[in-house]
Amino acid sequence: MSYKLENLKEWDEKIVTLAKKHSLDWYELDYEVVDYHEMIGAMVHHGMPSMYSHWSFGKSFEQTMNRYNVGMEGLPYELIINSNPSLAYLMRENPLYLQILIMAHCVGHSDFFKNNRMFKSTRPESVIQRLRAAKKRIQKYVEDPHVGIDLVERTLDACQALQFQTTKYGQVRRPHEEIKAEYVELINNDKDGRYRNFNINMYPIEPDYDLLGFIEENADIADWKRDIVHICREEGQYFWPQIQTKIMNEGWASMTHYELCHELDLPGELHLPIVKMHNAVVRPHIGSINPYHLGFYLFQKIKERHGIDECFLAREVCYDASFLRQYLTEEDCVELNLFSYSEKKKSSVTVDDVSDEKGWKEVKEDLIKNVSGGSIPVVYVDEMKRDGMLIVRHEHDGRDLEIKHANEVVEYIKYLWGEQVRFYTILEDEPWEID
Amino acid sequence: MSVFREHKTVADRTASDRRRHKQKIEKAIKEGIHHIVADESIIGKDGKQKYRIPVRGIKEYRFVYGSNGKQVGSAPGRDVKRGQKIGEPPSQGQGGQPNNAGGDKGEEYYDVEITHEELAEYLFSELKLPELQRRQLSNIDTEKLKRKGYRHQGIMPRLDRKKSAISRIKRMKASRFDPDKAEEGETFSFHEDDLVYRHYKMKKKPCTNAVIFFVMDVSGSMSQEKKFLARSFFFLLYQFLRLKYETIDIVFISHDTQAHEVDEKDFFEKASTGGTKASSALVMANDIIEKRYHPSSWNIYLFQCSDGDNFQEDNEKFLEEARKIMSISQLYGYCEIEPDVSWLSDPGKLFQLLKPFQGNKLKEVRINKRDDVWPAFTNLIGGTTSTEE
Repeated sequence: MSYKLENLKEWDEKIVTLAKKHSLDWYELDYEVVDYHEMIGAMVHHGMPSMYSHWSFGKSFEQTMNRYNVGMEGLPYELIINSNPSLAYLMRENPLYLQILIMAHCVGHSDFFKNNRMFKSTRPESVIQRLRAAKKRIQKYVEDPHVGIDLVERTLDACQALQFQTTKYGQVRRPHEEIKAEYVELINNDKDGRYRNFNINMYPIEPDYDLLGFIEENADIADWKRDIVHICREEGQYFWPQIQTKIMNEGWASMTHYELCHELDLPGELHLPIVKMHNAVVRPHIGSINPYHLGFYLFQKIKERHGIDECFLAREVCYDASFLRQYLTEEDCVELNLFSYSEKKKSSVTVDDVSDEKGWKEVKEDLIKNVSGGSIPVVYVDEMKRDGMLIVRHEHDGRDLEIKHANEVVEYIKYLWGEQVRFYTILEDEPWEID
Repeated sequence: MSVFREHKTVADRTASDRRRHKQKIEKAIKEGIHHIVADESIIGKDGKQKYRIPVRGIKEYRFVYGSNGKQVGSAPGRDVKRGQKIGEPPSQGQGGQPNNAGGDKGEEYYDVEITHEELAEYLFSELKLPELQRRQLSNIDTEKLKRKGYRHQGIMPRLDRKKSAISRIKRMKASRFDPDKAEEGETFSFHEDDLVYRHYKMKKKPCTNAVIFFVMDVSGSMSQEKKFLARSFFFLLYQFLRLKYETIDIVFISHDTQAHEVDEKDFFEKASTGGTKASSALVMANDIIEKRYHPSSWNIYLFQCSDGDNFQEDNEKFLEEARKIMSISQLYGYCEIEPDVSWLSDPGKLFQLLKPFQGNKLKEVRINKRDDVWPAFTNLIGGTTSTEE
């Protein structure tokens, strides 16, 4: 290392002083300097200092390490988690200019975590402790002779498959009786007959999109299994806001490092490589969407068009879908040359629509459909029968499920639920049932 | 002002995750073994080559969208037109649409390359020919694995747990990590360098004589699928014997109504169309034993694959010959191939005929599908699984 921890501290001081001038408001940053081996380890553990044990982390470690070794990709330069204080990793092998860029970038992320409303229920002050406690409990189940590694692993496999089939905003589950009372009220005051045929005895009364929560609450299963469901549901809820704001989060952090680094009075030997690196990070990926690029581009445009205050407002109230819906204009679609494409009859991938006068709205809609976790299919619990059978439905929006995966996932639901499960979707315009 | 600190612990945070993943891969290698068995091109190859086994990846399934959804891309400054072809769909086995959070959809396959030796280790480490006895005139060399110290590199089955644990403790002491004073949740996990593997060296050792008879029904009733299963079984057996007992004698007999002693190539490749007289093969085997392999000098094994169909009038003769084999051999393994029936249906005729004699000298197994080949094999050789039907 051609620099010392002291150098990092000096630059950090300059960065945070500037950031405060820019009215950024972030959790205290807690940097850990690590080697690349630890960096990959931290990465596959989603940055969490302590994570329960599961083979999938091992798999993703091997894959990342392999790619790193054959030079297919560099490591992520930054890794920061939504915690208070925000834990961030700096890879020891990085040159000084890169560390400066990363530290400025991290201020942006932490500011976003702290201020964006999607993150309000993520409880960043206790996430590290919660995961540490979860790890301990899972380890206890592994060591329990009545449970053991195989059952724990199978349960984790199933839970991870369903991890994002839960509420996106960390909502608290409402008791059945409370919802029922509301409907009784509605039926009693029903003047235009809308609820005449409403079945008040359904369970759940409303479609329940919190599949993991429903299982945790209603499944007739062992306590250890219920606890693992609980752990994975919490984890899914914790990560949902990050999925929903990928473009904005990276865009905001990129704008932050861009502006701060500009004003840092960097000597040329540091400034030039930073500019170069910045351009590489926010370059468009031809044929796909680079969230750094799109996010940075759009925040710049908002600043041009509406001033910096509007940027701060967006970073507070929007998530990717609403961000694009509100701010992405025809002019932007043309400039970015956005286009939609799809696979045609399994023979080739062709362009459907381009961003001209006629097509840009359509393309924008398609883009919005794919962001904010829109590529994660939505399923819900429709009914729990008297004999315990669970009816789960896929909310079909024109996109079919990959059925091979769905079959496997339904097996996972069965394993967690412990009773019969029936799953309904639509495949090539025909109703499709998995049981 | 932010806080800065150097990462201190020497613990390898994903060591146990990786170990568990490796175990799963190794299990998949064992399960993927029928893929090599199915590859005829390697039948009869020598022990020098490496095998590429397509091992099904350990997949993480989620709900993901199929191929009828639209994706969006950007291409500033490029010319993009409606209907323009921009690529091939991801082919099976590659999987994955660009830019899709759901990840790949096709099957993931790792091509794992293993050597003959590793193949043996994975498959046959706990197996050996049953009832092998010392006979006069020991002239067969066997290559025996002999323990020879320890190495830091090796394959999982050879991991020495105790030594590995000790080196972890040494490293822990050296790093002054005190588990009692460790921060809550902080652990000192295994590091790649802690792992110690037993090292083995091949050593030649004279061994007892043994001859193995491979008897296969190649008659018309043996369909392609049946032949495939029989061949898979024999191929496993062949690999096992060649790896463990290098200079053992193998006699190949294929039969329909007549038996022929054939060479290895013909045995695995030739087919016939006739009816079935199972006794013919046993007559020939008994004949060969009398001429070439006297039971006082040789351990004799006979493995027979058939679909159980036999001419009615031949049954008595067959049983007589079978008894003869049993009386002089170490083991008579009968393997019935019947892919077209369910487990509930009755076994074929030969299976029924032999059933009363089941015991140490006679073992019967049935193979209905590919997955049965390996259990059937271990049942006959008497490995890890029980010999119960």
